[in-house]
Order: sequence, then C-alpha cells, then structure tokens
Amino acid sequence: MHISKKQKYILAGIILVEIIIGIFFIKIDMSAIAEPPAKLKHIFGFAIPMNGINISTILNTWLIMVVLILSSWKITRHLTPVPSRLQVIAEQYVSAFDKLCEEVLGSGKGRKYMPMVSTLFIFILVANSIGAIPSFWHIFSGFPSWLKFDEPTKDLNTTLGFGLLCFLVAHISGIYYKGFKKYLSEYFEPMIEIGRLRIPNLFMGMLNIVGEFGKTISHSFRLFGNMLGSAIIILVISNLTKYIVMPVFLNAFFGLFIGAIQAFVFAMLALVYVSVMINE
Amino acid sequence: MQIDESVMKMATFFAAALSMGIGAIGSAYGLGYASSKACEAIARQPQESGKIIKMMLIGQAASGTPSIFSLLISFLLLFGPAPKQGLVQVFAILGAGICMGAGAVGPGIGAGFANAEACDGVARMPDSETTLLRVMLMGQAVSQSTSIYALVIAFLLTIV
Repeated sequence: MHISKKQKYILAGIILVEIIIGIFFIKIDMSAIAEPPAKLKHIFGFAIPMNGINISTILNTWLIMVVLILSSWKITRHLTPVPSRLQVIAEQYVSAFDKLCEEVLGSGKGRKYMPMVSTLFIFILVANSIGAIPSFWHIFSGFPSWLKFDEPTKDLNTTLGFGLLCFLVAHISGIYYKGFKKYLSEYFEPMIEIGRLRIPNLFMGMLNIVGEFGKTISHSFRLFGNMLGSAIIILVISNLTKYIVMPVFLNAFFGLFIGAIQAFVFAMLALVYVSVMINE
Repeated sequence: MQIDESVMKMATFFAAALSMGIGAIGSAYGLGYASSKACEAIARQPQESGKIIKMMLIGQAASGTPSIFSLLISFLLLFGPAPKQGLVQVFAILGAGICMGAGAVGPGIGAGFANAEACDGVARMPDSETTLLRVMLMGQAVSQSTSIYALVIAFLLTIV
C-alpha cells in the first residue's frame, strides 16, 4: 500500500492532536473496573425480580440481533443465480458450516444443528468485536454511563445463558436419538457384573454427572473470562497511555482476533457436545 | 487479632503479584515451545512457511488464555472493590492469587504442546491444515478447562 506525503502529514497531525488532548484533557480513571453495571430495577412501577436487568447488556444484545436479522433479510431477499457480493459471503458462510456439521455429526443429522451452531458463531463474533466501535459520549456529564458499545459477552449472564442452551440442546437430542433408558444407562457404565446381574456403577455415575456440569461451567466461563480479561486489559492500557494510538491495536488484537477465535471455539464446542451425546 | 487497612493492601498486592508471576510461567513455556517447533517445521518445509506461521499465531493467541485469566485476577485485586477487613479475608485474597497463578501453569504448557505439534503437522501434511486448526483449537479449549475452574474459585475467593 502506498501512502502519499499528504496522507503522512494528516496522520502525523491526527497523532499530534491526540497527544495534546491526551496529555492535557484526559485523566487516568480506572474506576470503571470496579464499577457495578447500571441496572434497571423498576419498570412502570413494577419491581423486576432477580435484582434488576443489566441495561448495557440488553441494549447491545438487541442491537446486534437487529443488525444481524436485518442484514440477513437484506441479503436473502433477492437471491440470484449470479450472486452479488454479499450473497457470495452468505453462501460461503452457510456452506462452510454445513460441511463442518456434516463432518462432525454425520450426514443428515448435521443439517439439523447447523443453524444453531452458525448463529451462535456469528452472534458471538459480532458481540466480541462490538467494543471496537468507538463510543465516547458516556464520558460527558448528562449522558448515562450505560450508553456505549459494550461487549454483551463480558457479562456472565449472556455466556451462561448460551452455555445452558447448549447443555439443554445436547441432552434433549441425546434423549431423542438414543431413548431415555439408553441415555440414562450411559452414565453408569461400565456396569458391575455379578453373574447375570448388571448393577449400575454409582461411583462412575456421580463422576459423570459432575463432569457434565463442569463442561457447562467451563464452556461459558471460557468466553466470559476471555472477554472480561480483554476488556479490562484494553481499559487499563488505554488509560495508562491516555488513549493515544494504542486503543486501535489493542482492540484489533483482543476484540477482533481473540474474539473471533473464542467465538469459533464456543461454536465448535457446542457442536462437539451435541455429537458426544447423539453418537453411539 | 486486629487487621487494619494496610495489612489488607499488603495481602492484595502480594496476591496480585503471585497470580500474574506464577501464571506467566506456563504460558511462556508453551508459547516458546510452539515457536521453536514452528521454526523447525519451516526449516523442513520452507515453502509452507505462510501456513505454519498462521497456525503458530492462532494457536499462541489461544494458548495465552490462562495468562489472560491471571492478568484478570491481578487487575481485579489491584483495582477492584476494596475487600472487607479480617484475617479470613487476608487468607482468601492470598488464596485467590495462589489458586489462579498455580492453576494457569499446567494449561499454558499443555496448550503450547498442542500448538507445537499442530505446526509440525502442517509441515508434514500441508493439505490437512483446516482439520488440524480445528482439532488444535478444540483440544486447547478443552485442556484449558482446568484453568477456568481455577478462575471460578479465584472469583469466589475474592468476593468472600
């Protein structure tokens, strides 16, 4: 890429202005780490149970949902044999996930779980990188603190919701494909055999049940820990450098790169948990 | 026994140092091992260097996860809400630091091994790159489960 002399001067000017603003106007403020999130506790006079809802998470989640639904509607409204650019992207995305699911789950079954896995992936991908969109108006007085682009995935409620969703889907499809008796008996294997009698192994049963909960906890805490850690690292280093130049690279690495890897890992683990349950 | 504010601060700082200091060992070893294997793989297959470098970088980003957890706990201890005062809280904070620090060593090394062998595998079978990438990421994610359990316990200990 060629950068002309004029562009170099403009770039240097922007950095100079940033340095001046950073040194003179921006104070180091790390209180956002310890600050509890803003919560909506009453709506139309009714108290919301479970200690209120997290406004920033809800708003960002709905924003991402609206954007994804509208863009997929826009892309699939006029499908043509000679695809447009957006249609090529959508087709590649769908066929890549189709292939992946068929590979892991076997042909026929893969098609059923492809929508869930691909939706989880694209939602978490967008959610992880939404923090990279600059939003600074919450630092002015008069604007509420929750009015900013914040990753919904750095809230444990979102990731635990996804984790429980995957848990339920995996177990219900296990019961559906194997039958309840076989599903239940797999927890207690290997059975203790005395003559012709087969007694369920209760010790293995306990280990397996604890392991199932451990899977869900690690599945959801992996995403949560990574995104919360990334957000705190971005906040601290941006504050220490007074928001000069660094936030761009930090957001590119932690938000886009690690966010994409974690989204892929989350979707793949959801797929693998289903495949462990339904395959013999 | 009387525990005043300065003792709580000492405990917090010491726990933050333990968490990040011990937690960096495993990830550093894993990352270094992965890059050494990648160098060896490129020496064997110089024409596949692009694929090998891509595999190395993606794997290293994933195997840095335990040390990100350590950093998270350190930052929460340093800048987070001030804990209550008491001898129990002193030990809870120290325990959180040791738990996260020591819990991050093993997964860091293990994820690095997976990354190294994946780089080696790309040099041996360049065509199976996508499968290798998928298996590597999944294996690393599962092998980091133990550091996530350490993270959960450290969270619980910091809010005692």
